[in-house]
Amino acid sequence: MSSQRETPFVTDDSQVQTDTRDARMTGGGADNRFNSKLRQAFGSSPFILTKFDQFMNWVRGSSMFMLQFGIACCSIEMMHTYSVKHDLDRFAAGVPRASPRQADVIIVPGTIVSKFAPRMKRVYDQMPEPKFVVGMGSCTISGGPFQEGYNVIKGAEEVIPVDIHVPGCPPRPEALIYGVAKLQQRIAEGESSPVTVKPYELQQFDDLEQDEIVEQLAEEINEEDLVMRYNWADSP
Amino acid sequence: MSLEEPTPDDGVVEALPTGGDEIADLLGDLVVGREEHMNAPGFVIRPDDVQETLRRLRDEAGFDHLSCVTAEEREDRYESIYHLTSFDDRQREASVVVPTPKDDPASQTAEPVFRTADWHEREAYDLIGIDYEGHPDLRRILLPDTWQGHPLSQNYDKDRPQIVTLKEWENPLADDHREEEGDTMYVNIGPHHPATHGVLHVKTVLDGEQVVDVDPDIGYLHRCEEQMCQSKTYRHQIMPYPDRWDYASSGLLNEWAYARAAEDLNDIDVPEYAQVIRTLGAELCRIASHMLAVGTFALDVYGDFTAIFMYAMRDREKVQNVLEELTGQRMMFNYFRLGGVVWDLPEPREDFFEMIRDFLDDLPEALEEYHDLITSNEILQSRTIDTGVLPPEVAKSYGATGPVARGSGIDYDLRRDDPYGYYDELEWDVVTEDGCDNFSRLLVRLREVEESAKIIEQCVDLLEDWPEDERTIQSNVPRTLRPDDDTEIYRGVEAAKGELGIYIRADGTEKPGRFKIRSPCFSNLQTLPEMSNGEYIPDMVASLGSLDIVLGEVDR
Amino acid sequence: MGPLQSQVLLPERIAGLLGLSGTAGQIVGGLLGAFIIANLLLVQTAVAGPWAKRKITAAFTDRIAVNRVGPFGLFVIVADAVRLLSKELVIPDGVDRPAYDLGPLLVPFSALLGFAVIPMGNGIHLADPETGLVFAFAASSIASLGLVMMGYASNNKYSLLGGLRAIASNIAYEIPLIITAASVIIFTGSLQMSEIVAQQAEPLLTLGGVAIPQWFAFVNPFAFALFVVANLAEVGRNPFDVPEAPTEIVAGYQTEYSSVYFVLIYLGEFIHIFLGGALAATLFLGGPAGPVLPGFIWFTIKIWAFYLFTQWARSAVPRIRVDQFLDVGWKGMLVLSFANLVLTAVIVGVIA
Repeated sequence: MSSQRETPFVTDDSQVQTDTRDARMTGGGADNRFNSKLRQAFGSSPFILTKFDQFMNWVRGSSMFMLQFGIACCSIEMMHTYSVKHDLDRFAAGVPRASPRQADVIIVPGTIVSKFAPRMKRVYDQMPEPKFVVGMGSCTISGGPFQEGYNVIKGAEEVIPVDIHVPGCPPRPEALIYGVAKLQQRIAEGESSPVTVKPYELQQFDDLEQDEIVEQLAEEINEEDLVMRYNWADSP
Repeated sequence: MSLEEPTPDDGVVEALPTGGDEIADLLGDLVVGREEHMNAPGFVIRPDDVQETLRRLRDEAGFDHLSCVTAEEREDRYESIYHLTSFDDRQREASVVVPTPKDDPASQTAEPVFRTADWHEREAYDLIGIDYEGHPDLRRILLPDTWQGHPLSQNYDKDRPQIVTLKEWENPLADDHREEEGDTMYVNIGPHHPATHGVLHVKTVLDGEQVVDVDPDIGYLHRCEEQMCQSKTYRHQIMPYPDRWDYASSGLLNEWAYARAAEDLNDIDVPEYAQVIRTLGAELCRIASHMLAVGTFALDVYGDFTAIFMYAMRDREKVQNVLEELTGQRMMFNYFRLGGVVWDLPEPREDFFEMIRDFLDDLPEALEEYHDLITSNEILQSRTIDTGVLPPEVAKSYGATGPVARGSGIDYDLRRDDPYGYYDELEWDVVTEDGCDNFSRLLVRLREVEESAKIIEQCVDLLEDWPEDERTIQSNVPRTLRPDDDTEIYRGVEAAKGELGIYIRADGTEKPGRFKIRSPCFSNLQTLPEMSNGEYIPDMVASLGSLDIVLGEVDR
Repeated sequence: MGPLQSQVLLPERIAGLLGLSGTAGQIVGGLLGAFIIANLLLVQTAVAGPWAKRKITAAFTDRIAVNRVGPFGLFVIVADAVRLLSKELVIPDGVDRPAYDLGPLLVPFSALLGFAVIPMGNGIHLADPETGLVFAFAASSIASLGLVMMGYASNNKYSLLGGLRAIASNIAYEIPLIITAASVIIFTGSLQMSEIVAQQAEPLLTLGGVAIPQWFAFVNPFAFALFVVANLAEVGRNPFDVPEAPTEIVAGYQTEYSSVYFVLIYLGEFIHIFLGGALAATLFLGGPAGPVLPGFIWFTIKIWAFYLFTQWARSAVPRIRVDQFLDVGWKGMLVLSFANLVLTAVIVGVIA
């Protein structure tokens, strides 16, 4: 590799202990996305609900609406996956909905940059639970070929939790179908996915710990605006 | 050859100054120094003479196309370079170099002379930090408003934390459009919206269903392509990146843009055989790209998952199969090398030729189907004819190229006007339509597919008969390329969306000192407000579709 | 051909079977009858929405669509329905309740209400008032109210635009729809559904021993075409799917709805398509009449044919622009429908 970086990306391993890193090392906590009030009332795993759980898992794994969401190169292959020849709808996963309110799965097809990350998080937050994320392509794993860019988020998992990563640049439609089928299988088997702690939460500007940047921006930004904060040095 | 040769000694053109000295005479005192770029003479001027110089060059020397504005930071100064050329004769070029001091990088804006300078200068301000005085709206374009620092300037701290806001945008017309007839409503179209073909954000102000004001807000896919290319070596490392600029399957066309600039910079010859293969591959890419454009345009006008979109995808699959045979990849080909292509056609060659011929044989029928479904459909005609009108003068002022310009009747195609590859040996025509509307742009794309098919057929004929011992796929290129310090070049090719230009300044190392991409979509997208103000929302969406932008290339 | 239309209505027959009479019989019979008819439709909608729609669109676009879950992917109906119902119901900030909650309820129920007066053959006919046709149109137009409630209450600009477009389209195309229907009334002289159907059973002419019935689609094909086109607009399908227009205004009035409410809206749309088909069948295609097969089967075939037609249009025809949409409605359809009405009146007047 010819990358002649003057400073390595993570300056000092011993000091950088972000939440993301912790979560990745330990695998995060158990998935509690399906927890409902009903379940809390019945206790941890009552008999009545286990069969029902299996049924619900089958239901969620058998049919899903995708969010019509294109970012970059991968979205072209995603379109091919939806259309003739590959036809993702065979797996009952080929109905793209334009509104996030009606979608179950968001396929993140491309590079996420600083300006777009808050918007993507907003879209993800607008989806109703239970929701799943398929990270498509290398960019959503690590930033891919653009990892060293000054503006590029080093993977979708920095912003939203990802259930399935489909590697490739871009992945072939077959690979995406495999990823979706794998996601369906995991849901149907009730496997939980590790939810990563998200460092780039949207937060009120006012709550931020003061540092140089915050002070510089204090005048410009309304305190009620939500902001997303990027610590490039801490990014994996 | 059925092409009309560009005739530099045509009556009108002859009178125009072409040589460096003639232009210098015309500019007179404005020129304070001369530079020699590899593609054109360069004229150094004072920062406050920009408008005067450009106006004189435009009006008196016929340089009516501001192809690109490159900004860069040198050791001792900032520099803005205006790459000028002419729509009538692409081979006449001139560079206007505007140096500004380090401590006060301010120069006059070119926006009043060339409208396209608006966005180009905003980008220069955003990434380099040059201040353009008199610019109507100088704010960040690619990076978020709250970004700290200018990333392509020399003392940029990359590890610095950044804060990006998620705020509600305000209606820019709220105050001055509150009249008796009605208020305006502000709508964000995008960055996540089915009509934006990716992550474009169009700030739209509506009066009822009509668009009063649109402001495309880009930068949601700014992947630092220029920085990437500046940190890689010429020989092999840059080539994968062009595939990802215009990712709608125009990979080889983009690669050619880099290959052409770098080959001219390093004085590398390309064997004729490789040129034919390049031409073949590039035209296949053009077909794939235009198919996608037609398909997504149908998506905008028809609604999703309609037959026409699926048919376009079906035909794209076929092209992608051919390209996969040739290059080994469906989209990100990485097939060109400086001095040729990476490998020869796949063996057995007969099967490959047959595959292409099968595709070409089916193509007329497929196109017939498209014309049945799209262009001869009366509802579609009533939706697209005379909507999104882009008059030729406006298109020129915005630097629109490619099918967008040709749909406005501008006869401008780099494949013919600034020949490269094998195009000038082949029989084909430049397609233009005079309608200036959405329908013309659609028609241009469909007809260009036919022209591309013609080119491919001739290439296949040539390749079939090519003698076996003359199949040189690469010329001899040194392992490391180190062009001389301070050589500068700007070269363009006709990509699927228009003129894709690359500016490279060598700094004596094996990596470019400055690598600037002139993206056709970036200039084309600028015309959106011209086309859609006063129209209905559906027409705005259709116009956006007919521009066929790819956000990867707009934002780079 | 036997008697197509049993004169005994469904509630009476149920009451008779249960041995009830008087008010109790009417109430129980009416409720049970409504329950049966509603379920018949819901089952058809369930097949049409998650499964048939995909399969039909796929057939038009060279695809296969669902085939993994159950035979021919049929179990996807269960999966889709349960999954959507079990999703989180997002109530966005600043919505205008209870309008936000009532809107999605109105859409399917207005359409179901319209089916109360439709004779479906084999005695499946809930009520047969003298003003049956008017009732059907009145009930189905309540949906417009629901749409505008949804569009307004969602606190979303796309929803608002969608709601406005929906209301504009309903007003613009309801009038031609009803005027065209009125031209049928001129023939029948009655608004009663059973009467309209009965009149169409009479032979128009006999060709080689086969009696061609007097279906108004044969008598006045022009009115039939007008009615079908206006109906397309009424149910919001291409080329008239302006209110939803996914690539322009995301999903129109339903943008903010998730989970149960989304199911209700979706359901409502499909029942409306079927109601459109049912009205077309009753007014122009002889209702449940048809050779060999029982009446209810014929009725189902006719409304599914209309459904197929909407999906076909959706796959192949572009959407028209909103101003053209209104132009077609007010300047084209309205004029044509009045011309049709006057012409029909003159012809009927002359002949009669």
